[in-house]
Amino acid sequence: MLKKSFLTGVIALAFSAGLAAAEPAKVLIPANPGGGWDGAGRETMAAFNKSGVFTDGVSFTNKGGAAGTIGLAEFVRTAEGDDNALLVTGVIMVGGVISNKTPVSLDNTTPLARMTNEYNAIAVPADSPIKTPQDFLAALKADPGALSVGGGSAGGVDHVLLALLAKQAGAPVDKINFVSFSGGEILASLGGGKIKAAISGASEFRDFAKSGRIRLIAVTGPTRVEGLDVPTLKESGIPIEIGNWRGFVGAPGMSEAGRKTWLDRFEKLHASDVWKEALKAHGWEDAYLAGDEFKAFIKAEESNWTTALKDVGILK
Amino acid sequence: MMDILQQLLAGFAIALQPINLFWALVGCLLGTAIGVLPGIGPALTIALLLPVTAQVAPESAFIMFAGILYGALYGGSTTSILLNMPGESGSVMTAIEGNRMARNGRGAAALATSAIGSFVAGTLGTLALTFLAPTIAELAFIFGPEDYFALMILSFTSVAVVMGTSRVRGFTALFFGLALGTIGIDTQTGQSRMTFGTLELLDGISFTVVLVSLFAVGETLYVASRQTRAAGVVYPLKGGAWMTREDWKRSWKPWLRGALIGFPIGSLPAGGTEIPTFLSYTVERRLSEKPEEFGNGAIEGVAGPEAANNAAAAGILVPLLTLGLPSTATAAVLLAAFQNYGLQPGPLLFATNPGLLWGLIASLFVGNVILLILNLPLVGMWVRLLLIPRPYIYGGIVIFALVGVWGLSTSWMDLLLMCGIGLIGYVARVYDFPIAPALIGLILGPQAEIQLRRALAVSQGDWSVLVGTPIAATLLAIAVLVIFLPFLVARFRGAMQESKA
Amino acid sequence: MSSLDQRKAARPWWLGVAVFAMGALWLYGAAGIASTTNYIGLGPAAMVQVAGGGLAILGILLVIQALRGETFAAQEEEGADAAAPPSRSAFLLALAGVAMPLLTMKMLGFPITAMLAFTLVTHAFGSRRTLLDLAIGALIGTFSWYGFELLGIELGPFIPLLR
Repeated sequence: MLKKSFLTGVIALAFSAGLAAAEPAKVLIPANPGGGWDGAGRETMAAFNKSGVFTDGVSFTNKGGAAGTIGLAEFVRTAEGDDNALLVTGVIMVGGVISNKTPVSLDNTTPLARMTNEYNAIAVPADSPIKTPQDFLAALKADPGALSVGGGSAGGVDHVLLALLAKQAGAPVDKINFVSFSGGEILASLGGGKIKAAISGASEFRDFAKSGRIRLIAVTGPTRVEGLDVPTLKESGIPIEIGNWRGFVGAPGMSEAGRKTWLDRFEKLHASDVWKEALKAHGWEDAYLAGDEFKAFIKAEESNWTTALKDVGILK
Repeated sequence: MMDILQQLLAGFAIALQPINLFWALVGCLLGTAIGVLPGIGPALTIALLLPVTAQVAPESAFIMFAGILYGALYGGSTTSILLNMPGESGSVMTAIEGNRMARNGRGAAALATSAIGSFVAGTLGTLALTFLAPTIAELAFIFGPEDYFALMILSFTSVAVVMGTSRVRGFTALFFGLALGTIGIDTQTGQSRMTFGTLELLDGISFTVVLVSLFAVGETLYVASRQTRAAGVVYPLKGGAWMTREDWKRSWKPWLRGALIGFPIGSLPAGGTEIPTFLSYTVERRLSEKPEEFGNGAIEGVAGPEAANNAAAAGILVPLLTLGLPSTATAAVLLAAFQNYGLQPGPLLFATNPGLLWGLIASLFVGNVILLILNLPLVGMWVRLLLIPRPYIYGGIVIFALVGVWGLSTSWMDLLLMCGIGLIGYVARVYDFPIAPALIGLILGPQAEIQLRRALAVSQGDWSVLVGTPIAATLLAIAVLVIFLPFLVARFRGAMQESKA
Repeated sequence: MSSLDQRKAARPWWLGVAVFAMGALWLYGAAGIASTTNYIGLGPAAMVQVAGGGLAILGILLVIQALRGETFAAQEEEGADAAAPPSRSAFLLALAGVAMPLLTMKMLGFPITAMLAFTLVTHAFGSRRTLLDLAIGALIGTFSWYGFELLGIELGPFIPLLR
C-alpha cells in the first residue's frame, strides 16, 4: 500500500515537473521525411539542443506535398497564436504558393529567420565549347532550342535561373529548352553529353566535377563557393544571384514576446560553433537574415518569382 | 584481379569483426521488418537512422545500412507470397505466382525459392559489383532518354503475359493504371493535370496508396464478402514444407537469368528495381516448359523476379560507389550518409578510404548469408503465421494498410483514396480483372512519358531519335518480337499441322 | 443465388459505363490543360488523352461484351467461395472498417482508429468476441504508433482531441 502510493507520488511528480519545465517546440516540416526540408528542420533543431540555446525538446510533424503549400495551409489553420509552433520554409514554398495559386501565403505567418542557402551551379560536359558564362549566354542567344539545359522540376529554382539568363542574353524566354530531371540521372545525362548543359545545386555537382566528366562554369551566389575554383555570375558581369534558401517562420498571430524569444534564440544559434559545424557538414551557406529584414526579403522574393514564373509560362 | 581479392579479404576482416557482425544483424532484422510494411521502405528507414548513427563508426553504419537494403527485399517478398500484399513495388510480380503457390499449399516452397534466389542473385550481384563495377558504371553515360524509353516499351510487353483471361479486361486495368499515373504536376512543364483543383493531388497519387488499396484492401473486402463460413486450416501444407527436387530443377535457371537481367538494369541511373522484375517474369513465362502453370503458381515466376529484384539492388550501388551518382531514393540517402561522414563516393573513395569501401562490399556478402540463415528457418514460422484465425489475419492486414497509407504523409486524402481504390480492387476481383497490369501502367507510364518527352526535347521534336541509337533500335526490335513471336509461332505450327494432314 | 442474380452478376454493363465515364473525364480534363509544347512536340495533355481515349474505347468494348453475354466470373480466392452467395452484411462491415479512418483518424488519432477498424474487420470475418477484438486492435494500434514514434515518424498525435 505504502509502496503503491509512493509510486503514484513519484509518477505525479514526474508528470507535473514535465509539464512545468518543458514548452517543447512544435515544428511542422512541409515535406515527407528524408528530403531537403526535413534535413534542414531536424538538423537545425538538433543544433539548438546541442548548443544549449534551446533544450526544451521538440516534436516534428511531416506534412508533405505541393511544394510545401499543403504544410503551409495546415500550419496557418492549426497553429494560430501558438508561440511554440514553427514552420520550415524556403524558396520552393514561395514558388509553390505562386504557381499553385494557394489562398494562404507566407504573408499569413510570422517570419523569423532565414538560416541557410544552397547556391546553384551551371555545368557543361567536359568537352563542351562553352567555357565561360558569357559563352553560355552567347549560345543561348544564338539558338535557345539547341541548348538543351537540364535541371530540377519545371518552375523550380533551376528553371527560373535559366529564364533569367535567357533574359540577360536577350533571348526569347519562351524558347528556352529546359529539360526536367530528378535525382542523379541529370549527372549521367550531362556526363554522357545527352544534354548540353545543366543547372543544379553546387554541392551536387562539386564532387562529380572532380571525376573530370563535367566542368562547372559558374555559381550563383554572391561569393565563390569554398573549395571551388569557379567564378560567380556577378564576377562575370551578369547581375544575377539566386539560391535555394531555407528558414523558419512562426505562427500567424504570434505574440510579440514569443517572436522576440525566438528571434533571440535564432541569433544565439547563429553565433554558436555548433551551427558553424552543422553548416559545414551539410554544405550549406550561411544566409542568416532575421525578423523584419527577412520579412522584407520574402516580399521581394514573392514579386521576383511572380515575374519569373510568368516569363517561363508556368503562371498564366 | 589479385589486388581486388586482397582488398576484399581486408574488407572481410573488417566486416567479420564481432561489432560489425552485430550491426549487420541489426540491419538485416530491421530491414526484414520494414520490408513487410507497405510504404515504409529502406530509403525512409535509413534517412531516419542517419542522426542516430552519428555516434557509430562509418564502417558499422554502412554495414547496417547494407543489411537494411537487402533485408527489405527479403521481407517484401514474404507478404507478397503469403498474403498477396506486396510490401514494395519490386515484389508485385512475386505476388502473382507466389500467392497462387501459397494457396495451393506450396507457400513454404515459394518462400524458400525466393530466399535462396535472393541469396544467389544478391551474391552474384555483389560479385559483379566487386569485379565489374567501373566497367558497368560506364553504361550510365551511354544510355540516353531514347534508350530508356525503348527499355520501358520492352517492359510494357510484360503486360501481355499477365493479362488474365480477357484482353479487354487486361487492357482496361493497364489504362486505369496509366490514367492514375497522369494525375499531378507534369514535371516537364509544371502544369497540373487531373487534380480537380485539390492541392493534395498535385504530387500525384502515391504508388504505395494504390498498391495497398488494390491488393490489401480489395482482397480484404472480397474475401470478407465471399468467405465460406466453414472453419478450417487456412493454407494446408501440401507436399511438404520444402522445395522438391523438381522445384530446384525449375528454380536454378530463373535465379541465374534473373540476376543477369537485374544487375545491369539496376546499375542504370533510371533503371530501378521494378523493370527487371517485369522483364524477368516475361522471360520466365516465355521460356517455361510448363506455361500452363503460370497464373496457377509456377515456381519460375517467383524465382526469376525475386532474383532480379535483389541483383538490381546490388546494381544500384554501382553508380553510387564508382561515380557518386545516386540513382534511387535509397542511393540518395546513402549518399547523404557518406557526406555526413565527410566522405564522397566516387573513384577517389577507392583510393582514400579503401577500408570502408571494401568493408561495405564484404558486408554485402555477409549480409546475404545472414539473411539466408535468418530466412530459411523462418519459412516454417512464416507459413505457420497463416494458421492465425482468418478474422485476425485480415484485421491485421487492415491495420498494416493504415500504417502504410497514413504514415506516408498523414493525409486525409490518402485515406479517401485508399477507400475508393480499395473498392475498385474489390470490383476487379468480382468481375475478374487482373490487378498487375494496373500497377505496371502506374509504374511505367509516367517514366516512359518522361523519357519520351526528354528525348524529343533534346532532339527538338525529331521523332527519328527514338530509333537513333543502336541500343534503342535493338530494344524496340526485341519488344516487337516478344509481342508477335507467339502469334507467328502458333500460326507456323498451325500451318505445319495442316500440311501434314 | 437465383438465376436472375447470376445473370445480373455476369453482365456488369454498368462497369463498362463507369470505365467509359472515367475515360471521358480524362479526355475532358485533357482539354483544360494548356499546351506548352515548345520543342517537345508532345504537350502535357498528350498522355492524359491517350489514357482517357483508351479507357473510353475499352469502356464501350466492355459494354458490348456484357450485352453479348460474356461471363465475368469472380476470381477464385483462397477461402473465398466464388459460388457462395456474397454476404452483403460482411462486405458492408469490412467496408465500414476501411472507411472508419475517414471519420475518426483526425479526431481520435491512430491507435483508436486502428482499434475500431480492426474490430469491424474481424467482425466482418465472423468474430463475435467484441471486447477481445477491441483489446487486440488497441494493442496493435498503440504498438505501431510507438514503433513509428521511435523511428521519428509521428502518425499524428496519440489522441488529437486530448491535445
